[in-house]
Amino acid sequence: MKTMYTVAAAIVAIVIIIGGVFAYTALQTPAATPTPTPSTNPTQTPTSSPSASPSVSPTSSAPVTLNGAGATFPQPFLNATIVHYTTNIKPSVQINYQGVGSGQGVSSFTSKTVDFACSDAPLTATQREAAPNALHIPETIGAITVAYNLPGVSSELKLTGEIIANIYLGTITNWNDPAIAAINSGVTLPDHAITTVHRSDNSGTTNWFTKYLCLVSSAWDNDVGSGTSVQWPGGLGAAGNANVAATISQTQYSVGYIELAYALQNGVPVAAIQNAAGNFVLPSLESTTAAAQSLPSSGLPSGSESWENVVLLNTSGEQAYPIVTPTYMLLYQELNVIPGMTLDKATQLVQYVWYVVHDGQALAPALEYASLPANLVALNEETLNSITFNGQHLTTH
Amino acid sequence: MFHSYGFRKFKNKLFFVLCLLCVVIAVVPLLSILYEVIARGAPQINLEFLTANGLQGGIGPAIQGTLILIGLTSIMGIPLGVLSGIYLAEYGNNKYASWMRTINDILTEFPSIVVGITAYSIIVVGLIGTFSPIAGAIALSFMLVPIVARTTEESIKLVPNSVREASMALGAHRWRTIFSVVLPSAKNGMITGTLLAVARVAGETAPILLTIMGNSYFFQGMNQPMDALPLRIFLNSRQPSAELQAEAWGAALILILMVLVLNIGVRLASRGRLRR
Repeated sequence: MKTMYTVAAAIVAIVIIIGGVFAYTALQTPAATPTPTPSTNPTQTPTSSPSASPSVSPTSSAPVTLNGAGATFPQPFLNATIVHYTTNIKPSVQINYQGVGSGQGVSSFTSKTVDFACSDAPLTATQREAAPNALHIPETIGAITVAYNLPGVSSELKLTGEIIANIYLGTITNWNDPAIAAINSGVTLPDHAITTVHRSDNSGTTNWFTKYLCLVSSAWDNDVGSGTSVQWPGGLGAAGNANVAATISQTQYSVGYIELAYALQNGVPVAAIQNAAGNFVLPSLESTTAAAQSLPSSGLPSGSESWENVVLLNTSGEQAYPIVTPTYMLLYQELNVIPGMTLDKATQLVQYVWYVVHDGQALAPALEYASLPANLVALNEETLNSITFNGQHLTTH
Repeated sequence: MFHSYGFRKFKNKLFFVLCLLCVVIAVVPLLSILYEVIARGAPQINLEFLTANGLQGGIGPAIQGTLILIGLTSIMGIPLGVLSGIYLAEYGNNKYASWMRTINDILTEFPSIVVGITAYSIIVVGLIGTFSPIAGAIALSFMLVPIVARTTEESIKLVPNSVREASMALGAHRWRTIFSVVLPSAKNGMITGTLLAVARVAGETAPILLTIMGNSYFFQGMNQPMDALPLRIFLNSRQPSAELQAEAWGAALILILMVLVLNIGVRLASRGRLRR
């Protein structure tokens, strides 16, 4: 009989713990929302939004929660915009963004389990069919670096697209290959075999990197091709940007491709790459922005069209870094397709995205993201203005 | 000569040293993991880290979420698992039970990511239409039930038949025998098995990655995404920012501590009762 009491007591204890947690949350939630976070206050962002005054939603009912998921890459930037937006501009809104990966972000978007998604790669034709009326909103721009680990070489390494392709193809096998030495005069290159590192998982980074190699090397285009995962001729595989960065730091005489933010955070040296104008350009915020600015504004698709062919690789700018990729926010043009969407929620969602592509961009440089060029911002305004809820246009700002 | 006393003594010592070496080899990875997690995680831990929400750089929502998940999963999974275990052990002499046993064994070794995808497509997309703690708890119950059922069955089978017969001879019904005689005798094995199952489930990432998605805020309701410690570790470890990666180490330390406290606590409690 004693056991019966123990089991009963255990169950009661579990119930009490859960009940307590729920009660705690219920008490916590309304109090926690307006608490301002002191940190991460940006330096005087221009507040063009008139609602920045504290007279926000006098009869605030339950706080509106917006859920988003997708690419890992923009998360630090989005988190900063969320903190600033929910603290200083709209305390009645809660925005939850989780960097679960582009692939899962797109599938959650397609199954309408999130309000918005982020993806490094634009939707493919098949994905667009599965998610009709999806809109692409370029939110920020990233660069893919070629990082290396060369003990004993302190000066900066220069590479061309063709050399990178040949290294990955295995036709250039040694660091002191004449092709590398020819453009790196004054650098003593070690007589060591090159170890290449690539992504082992499906990845938007791989997609853009291999697309770039296809552009600059016909041999790569013929033998390997491009995609989110390809048949690599050799080398080491690692899952995720963070692991590729770690593998490069741990493997002497290795080379690999990672997003700029990961290279900067891990302190891995990166190569200057020859751009279309013939200059060797290091990846940086400025060279990334320069690449984005050379986008022809006339040739861009509208938000509701396919963005698959928008390529920021090898753009013509003098100081443009050659491997640059936009990353997208995905929204539905008619928001009533998402279960649980209301007019209020839809308006809050559109206003938040409007903030991200306008004032929110001021937070980007401090976090090592390139700000959107004016032509993309103008395009995004048009896209956001086209969003409706039950056919009704929304107040975007 | 090979049978001399000295050689036998030498063999004994050699074997002892080899055994010791094996123990060291087995323990080194465990210790190095513990050391790494403590060394990198401990500097993160302070009151703000434990109570602040995700946007303020804390893991409060993750701790709360893991507790809620463990609670929900236990409520759903343990009774079902224990009852199946009792059925298999006490009434399990027919072909239905043997089928059930086979299916149970298959479920035990089911890859957790498959459980996650199943729960995602059936519960998240099909039934609820959004990420939800309930979907996560159901996915975790899928992993919990077979382990609990198996250990319950094994523990009950260890109870000698003579005890059952004695109870029946005193006029007890079969259900009375099971609840008042068999279960108390099998209690320790069941508690240990259940705890191991709960501890294992508490550390699972794959089933909850696809079902609760993660949340920067504290619990918002049964139809909203929720956070959990393993999920937070997984998501933050893939971030470029060193700060977020450090948060993942802190979260890992807390998760290990939680599982450890759970294990040691109940083991001490059940041992105390056994002595009495």
